[in-house]
Amino acid sequence: MSRRPYGPVAWLLDDLTDPAAWAASLWAMDVPGVVEIIPAESTVVVRCARERHDDIGHVLDMVVPTSRAEGSDQPVTIDVVYDGPDIAALADAARVSIDDVVRLHVSGSYDVAFCGFSPGFGYLRGIDRRLHVPRRDTPRTSVPAGSIGVAAGYTCVYPSSSPGGWYLIGRTTASMWDAERNPPALLRPGQSVRFRRVPA
Amino acid sequence: MNAEPALRIVQVGFATTVQDHGRVGLAHLGVPTGGAVDRRTHDLVNRLVGNPPDAATIETMGALIVEALRPVVVASSTDASRQTLGAGARIRVDAPPGSVWAYLGVRGGLAVDDVLGSRSQDTLGGVGPVALVAGSALPVGPDPGTELAADHAPPRGATEVRVRIWDGPHHDWFIGGTQSLIRRPWRITSELSRVGVRLEAGSFDPSTRAQDQMPSIGLTVGAVQVTPSGEPIVMLANHPTTGGYPVIAVVEPDDLPDLAQCRPGMAVRFRRA
Repeated sequence: MSRRPYGPVAWLLDDLTDPAAWAASLWAMDVPGVVEIIPAESTVVVRCARERHDDIGHVLDMVVPTSRAEGSDQPVTIDVVYDGPDIAALADAARVSIDDVVRLHVSGSYDVAFCGFSPGFGYLRGIDRRLHVPRRDTPRTSVPAGSIGVAAGYTCVYPSSSPGGWYLIGRTTASMWDAERNPPALLRPGQSVRFRRVPA
Repeated sequence: MNAEPALRIVQVGFATTVQDHGRVGLAHLGVPTGGAVDRRTHDLVNRLVGNPPDAATIETMGALIVEALRPVVVASSTDASRQTLGAGARIRVDAPPGSVWAYLGVRGGLAVDDVLGSRSQDTLGGVGPVALVAGSALPVGPDPGTELAADHAPPRGATEVRVRIWDGPHHDWFIGGTQSLIRRPWRITSELSRVGVRLEAGSFDPSTRAQDQMPSIGLTVGAVQVTPSGEPIVMLANHPTTGGYPVIAVVEPDDLPDLAQCRPGMAVRFRRA
């Protein structure tokens, strides 16, 4: 792990093996002056009060990623209708059959590596290597909420209607984001996830 | 809405939203902080009407016309002064010369319902109260009971914009590091919004020691991301929570309002914080 200054109100922690677990440990420490903890693919950014910046830097060096994120041992199950518009294209790109796409996707056990892109958008890791494909060449300008996407070594559920470049293989009616709910996001860093196939 | 409407939008203008100090503690869920792009001016109009600094105001790029439905005390950053609008009176809000963003504060603060702890409209992810349109009726909170002090504020001086920067986490990825931003004059492009502002210079070598695409990292307000084309983008209040370009520098928070208010074509000089 390395710690780099990120201006006067943030730190970047780099080369972390499990950013979600590291972030969970820091949350558990409840350090005064920490404002935001933002895990990403291999990093965590910590935003903090300016007057506590140096002190918090030293605290960050002592974080040991032992905590399990909330929800990491209780998977949420998301019901999916596997009839997405890109399911054949993904099968082509991955050189497998359409049935294989469904079988491989539904049998995986996933967890949220990190969130980003839009409120409640979780990057789910754990997808079978045979479904590791780059993003589509041309992103869609509008992807419906509830679409199940696959790209870049991750799978996702679009929480709201947004542009998107992932292969769309299915859809769910699960509420991924609800500002009236606490917490508003169904998927949070570290949350484990299973998919279940349901008929159209 | 938790109070009688006191203001009505007659003409919504450009990029007009309700803003306050934004929502914190949700970046790990993909929710940007948001809030006023130029927090200093937002706080100024609140001070002029005797509000706490985080009371909700209207932020606009201009051409906003608002009508009072009952007598209200307002302050506009167009002329940085306070006035009382009688019922039916209107005020037009435009960005002052040489700036981009204007604010309209109202005594009591806008009392639209908050969403996840803030009344600000997130223009990227859509979190927040209803978007403003012509005809929107806005409630105003109770009179804060404060004394009204100075009724105007001095206008910004139209000097050369100088902005202090700190080393970003990837400054040593670039040839010349942070100094390469300091050496040359930059110009504000027309690509500016609540999310960020893109800068351009004559010749800037954006090559980095990273051979592959960088994995996304968390962003912070003022982060200066460098795109492969070599045009730095400075993140403003409504920036996304993560981004995939290296961060060469971070703008000093106290100087960010000066940068955010620069119009396209204006020159900016960086110096070390």
